Amino acid sequence: MLRKRLLHVILMPLSIFISFSLLAQDRFVTGKVTDAKDGTPVVGASVQPKGAKTGTSTSADGNFSVSVPSGTNTLVISSAEYVRQEIDITNKTFIDVLLTSASSGLSEVVVIGYGTARKKDLTGAVSSVQAKDFNKGTYTSPDQLIQGKAAGVLVINNTGQPGGATTVRIRGSSSIRSGNQPLFVVDGVPLSGGSARPGGRGGQFGSDGGNPLNYLNPNDIASIEILKDASATAIYGSRGANGVVLIATKRGKSGAPTIDVSASTSVANVLKQLEVLDGNEYRQALKDYGQTTGDFGGNVDAFDAITRTGLTQNYNVAVGGGTENGRYRLSLGYLDQEGIIKTSNFKKYTANLSSNFKFLESKKLGLDINILATQTNEQIAPISTFVGFEGNLISQALQWNPTLSLFKPGTDSALNLGGTTINPLGQLNYFEDKANVTTIIANIAPYYKITNELEYKFQYSVNRQVGIRKGQVNRLLNAQNIENRGVAFIGNEEQTNTQITNTLNYNKQITSDFNLNAVVGHEWLIYDTKGSFISGQDFTNDGLNYYDKLFTSSPASRQVGSFASPTTELQSYFGRAIINYKDKYLITGTFRADGSTKFGENNKYGYFPSVGIAWNASQESFLSGVSFLKNLKVRASWGKTGNQEFPSGASLPRYILSPTGVRQANFGNPDLIWESSETTNAGIDFSLFNNRFSGSIDYFYKKTNDVLFEQTPAAPSPGGTKVWVNLDGNIINKGVEITLNGNLLNTQDMTWNLGGNVSFLQNNVSGLVGFYETGELRGQGFSDVRGQRMVSGQPLNVWYLRRFDGLDKNTGQSIYADGGNTLFYSGSPNPKTLVGIASDFSYKKFAASIGMNGTFGHYIFNNTAASVLGIGNLGTRNIAKELIGGSVKEAISNAPAPSTRNLEKGNYIKMANATIGYRVGNIGKSVRNLYISLTGQNLFVITKYTGFDPEVNTDGGVDGIPSLGIEYIPYPSARSIQLGINFTL
Amino acid sequence: MKPNKIFFSFLFMLIFFSCTKLEEDFRSELEQSSSGSLTAAQFLTSAYESLNGPFQWGDVWHSQEHSSDEIIAPTRGPDWDDNGQWRALHAHTWNANQGQIVGGFNGLLSAQFAASNVLQFNPSALEAAEARFLRAFTIYWVLDGYDQVPYREDLKNFKILPKTLKGLEAVDFIISEINAILATLPDTGPAYKASKNAARALLMKVYLNKGVYANRATPTFAPADMAQVISLADQIIASNKYSLNDAYFDIFAPNNEVTSKENIYTLWNKPGTTGGNVRGNAFSVSHYNQNPGGWNGFSTLSDFYEKFQATDQRRGLKYTYPGSLPNPGNRQNVGFLVGQQYNLTTDAALKDRKGAPLIFTPEVKLRETGDNLEVTGIRVHKYPYDYATAGDQKDNDWVLFRYADVLLMKAEAMLRTGNATGALLLVNEIRAKRGVLPLLAVDLTALLDERGREMYWEGYRRQDLIRFGRFLQAWQEKPASEAKNLLFPIPSNQLAVNANLTQNPGYN
Repeated sequence: MLRKRLLHVILMPLSIFISFSLLAQDRFVTGKVTDAKDGTPVVGASVQPKGAKTGTSTSADGNFSVSVPSGTNTLVISSAEYVRQEIDITNKTFIDVLLTSASSGLSEVVVIGYGTARKKDLTGAVSSVQAKDFNKGTYTSPDQLIQGKAAGVLVINNTGQPGGATTVRIRGSSSIRSGNQPLFVVDGVPLSGGSARPGGRGGQFGSDGGNPLNYLNPNDIASIEILKDASATAIYGSRGANGVVLIATKRGKSGAPTIDVSASTSVANVLKQLEVLDGNEYRQALKDYGQTTGDFGGNVDAFDAITRTGLTQNYNVAVGGGTENGRYRLSLGYLDQEGIIKTSNFKKYTANLSSNFKFLESKKLGLDINILATQTNEQIAPISTFVGFEGNLISQALQWNPTLSLFKPGTDSALNLGGTTINPLGQLNYFEDKANVTTIIANIAPYYKITNELEYKFQYSVNRQVGIRKGQVNRLLNAQNIENRGVAFIGNEEQTNTQITNTLNYNKQITSDFNLNAVVGHEWLIYDTKGSFISGQDFTNDGLNYYDKLFTSSPASRQVGSFASPTTELQSYFGRAIINYKDKYLITGTFRADGSTKFGENNKYGYFPSVGIAWNASQESFLSGVSFLKNLKVRASWGKTGNQEFPSGASLPRYILSPTGVRQANFGNPDLIWESSETTNAGIDFSLFNNRFSGSIDYFYKKTNDVLFEQTPAAPSPGGTKVWVNLDGNIINKGVEITLNGNLLNTQDMTWNLGGNVSFLQNNVSGLVGFYETGELRGQGFSDVRGQRMVSGQPLNVWYLRRFDGLDKNTGQSIYADGGNTLFYSGSPNPKTLVGIASDFSYKKFAASIGMNGTFGHYIFNNTAASVLGIGNLGTRNIAKELIGGSVKEAISNAPAPSTRNLEKGNYIKMANATIGYRVGNIGKSVRNLYISLTGQNLFVITKYTGFDPEVNTDGGVDGIPSLGIEYIPYPSARSIQLGINFTL
Repeated sequence: MKPNKIFFSFLFMLIFFSCTKLEEDFRSELEQSSSGSLTAAQFLTSAYESLNGPFQWGDVWHSQEHSSDEIIAPTRGPDWDDNGQWRALHAHTWNANQGQIVGGFNGLLSAQFAASNVLQFNPSALEAAEARFLRAFTIYWVLDGYDQVPYREDLKNFKILPKTLKGLEAVDFIISEINAILATLPDTGPAYKASKNAARALLMKVYLNKGVYANRATPTFAPADMAQVISLADQIIASNKYSLNDAYFDIFAPNNEVTSKENIYTLWNKPGTTGGNVRGNAFSVSHYNQNPGGWNGFSTLSDFYEKFQATDQRRGLKYTYPGSLPNPGNRQNVGFLVGQQYNLTTDAALKDRKGAPLIFTPEVKLRETGDNLEVTGIRVHKYPYDYATAGDQKDNDWVLFRYADVLLMKAEAMLRTGNATGALLLVNEIRAKRGVLPLLAVDLTALLDERGREMYWEGYRRQDLIRFGRFLQAWQEKPASEAKNLLFPIPSNQLAVNANLTQNPGYN
């Protein structure tokens, strides 16, 4: 240190002297530095004449002006997150500089949970996705932004419903019964994973639980880090086993206030229609099958009648600015997304204030405050998967006899057929289901630099959500138990989650070779949920909403419920140290002790250690001669993480009250201990040719022990319940993840980046006692049918079905192996391979990018085809087109049955989004950085899967055991085209 | 404020907030420590209700009836395949994972737990007796179906495995339990509460079937057991609380709590208060276009239907009851529905979904492949449909023990001990009420047939067929079956967690 300072003291006057001596011959070059991909200004980029010791940095709008000594014809432009560029300025006084991101840039600082670290110091497997690399288009929740962007991360939009739920799996499913969703942490606030959106009361109300992250505005998110191995996730201890997703929101930048405006509008249509017979084909089929009834003479497309072109508008305004000691960013967002199914709609209003202050003369005291308020209003379509044989809107439309008008003759009101066939238009008209959720998150975090190295931080956050849902079905709908009665409900739910975190951060260069980055902390989390509902039946029609006059329902039909969740608290102590020796050898150790109310007296606390090491081989002298090798790092880690995402109340016996009785709800198990996953990870990070080509390869082996499972106890036992135990067996997930990024072209006018990731995953269950059924398949003729099992020696959720061996040529009946009396393990619904591809290209002011994702090696059960569009419908309802014209004529009486006939390969690759944009630049003095873009989402899917969309996950869970890979009459996926405009004022 | 002070105040907060004890508090449910406020009466209510699931159109009922010659659930093209579960029950090709067999076992044993739990909460002598009756009742049904009855003495620790009462052990247990509580049980009370006569009826079932539980393949019936049956029947008769109903369907009508004179033990259905799925009986047979619109499934077999004479009111008739539809055409609305069906409000002839006349045919197959697959099979409405009560819960109490059964059991015991004359008198007493001519003589075959006509779809047919040695024989849509089918298999998931159970012979 001393030597450096001495040198500085000597050099300083020297440089001043030199620059003064050259001053007479200097010239000025001005210009602007922008991000090559999205045209946003790059703030604080260093601009230096080549060879000069001084330079300047860009202002808040990316502009610079630098004096260039004569004889210097090259400017060097660099910024932390971008690839360094050298620009020829011969005979130029103004230049436009486009910087491309260097996602493998080593000085990059990443958020790693309770602190930050230089990316080069990481020993764990962490994927980082910056805002500019997010999926482009209209999204309602942040998990959709990273679909296909990070190796080992599977994101499934369960249905096409706006604001609908997603399935996120990081490195596969490591649990059988407890949750498999990763932990989401927003600006240091860990989320509970739930939302206050109440469920519907009654089978016909929409069953999609909605995405609990809907309250975040994707436009406010600056970056998302995905922590995958134990070295990275163990700091989150008991909630780290499924991986951790850290979301950082945008902050104000110091400088004059700016207003960022973005607006977009998009149109959406059905991505794919299932092929059913049209009127003429139906008539022909009736004739072929000798059916004398069922032809009503028309030609009707019922699916067309329930779908529409959905219009979406999205506006965001963000005001940001401040000084070095007080920055702020206020953003407002409005989203109005019309679903492609008529009547369905998702509206979101967001307001987000983030401010960062520094106090005291020494600036040692700081304060971060974030306040977020969101309102989401949904109108939900009558699409539930928990419907009886009368089906939901989708099946009703698919099955509608295409020769029969949907309308009463000569009117525009829906035809009521009577019986059990429901007119999809009637279903739409006579149905209402609205869910409104209000979310307020306040997060206040003062910190104090006790010394230069030691910082204390206190974080207090409250996440409060209130949800209300109202629904009704008119008595005019001819559904069982609805007709002439009607039904309505109101449901309420509130959630309050509180967090208190104390951390001490110590960051010190101990000697010139040793750097220590350490944190210790304490955290207390309290989750609280309450709710109630009322429902009733037997209403009259007088123009009032049923749910506004529930008091008129018949007393016997009324149902009332209320609940308060058991107290759920988590108290934790944690610590982490990252030691860097000579920038070559890195070691990270973390430890967390978690105590939870969910566990019994005997085992309140669980302990989760991890250790990671890394070797920056490229820093070694023997590699210094290898000029193309910019960076080579070898990593290895081991650690234990936990999973406590199972319901409270498993350790103690509980008693459930009914109006006159009481019954024991369960057996308590005071010996329950934490499920833990031991993960071993080995990886290599490399970058070559001046960071133009970079990548990572990781191998992981994750073994989950003491698997928490709700096992059938030996009967007699409390009615219908199971007991939580730790299984003797294991779940093993292993795999390889490869990420590659290439900067294929990088000239002044043109850049082209191509990146991709591929993951190979495998999982296996052992030690389960007996087997457990899940994967409920539904529909007529599919009562009490479970298609999947949890069983030792097979992948999680393995398909267990009759084997279909074709149709009998003579009878037209299905042939099953062993007459259908034997069921077979028939493949896994877990994808074996995940693929993500991203590429961006820019030429002068034009930019284009694409994002693709795909999954391979798994099987989906097409329950829609199996039980909704079978041949037996002919004569009364519609059938799938593919059933007609085959080599064997299927008998009309052939029973549709759960078998491998409808088990299809789920392989797909999807053009998830593609964007072209044009950077107009500044218009006049006030409009700056105007950027116009056209984005297509879900443009096409390459797949052999015959259902709506191979990206699907209809909930078929049984007794809390989740299912995977079922499609059953879901809200269909949409394809959309969006026109967007961004500018700064 | 000095920086140090700030630091120390934060440090204080750190310590302050470290004090949570992580105690779990259930706010909508009660835990053991607060369960002191609970009364045995509350647990007893739930114990009674715990029988609704297995019995009222539940798994015990399905496994007793669908495995017999009374019910068939044909696979009707797109409907009722349900992974082959109904065909397996009818054709005796079930295995240890058959849904109804697993569900029946678990449901009965959950009810046993609920009944035992009453005894943990300081019950009165009467409450304890009622709970022990319910427990004996569930043990009897597990014994009947599975031979091995897990019996849990420790209700707290699930890791202590239940012991197994096997065969005659279970018989002895039930007899000693009932004898211990008989004096405490009340003489009178509603049929849905345990009473002396309900306990006696249970004992009759046990004694009558005791020979079966000793040896199902070739049962012998000890005279002493038969004497017990007769003596218990006489006690019930002597109580003077019951008589045969003039109108057969009054026993099962929505207000049967009042109209039935025969009901000894029932499951209580009172919409808005308590109840089970009695509605399933109507829905599972009713065609889509009938009222109530149903699921168009279960039927009876034509051979069984043909055991009835036309005048037998048990076969069906036009039955008027509170809330019944106008029925202007005086169409049959209860019992066995066969032939053209009518709208019971307008008398219009009904059609099926393809527009053909809705004519239920006697012919029925396990797999229907014809064009008429929607309408095959005779449909059975034993519980007259409660139109007056909207919603899923209906008012008809579910009948478990009734007087005619007591008389028939007594007749059987007499017959099995050589008193055919006494048996004939009893059988003919019933037949006279039901509108058929008296029999001239009665033998075991005639008695079994009479039990079928009287007790059809009440959940006893499998037991009766086994006791009369007919269960393994071939009948319509069922070939002769193997000896192993006399017992249901122990559910494989229970075998996996309870080392005190062994799989029943033939199912490994």
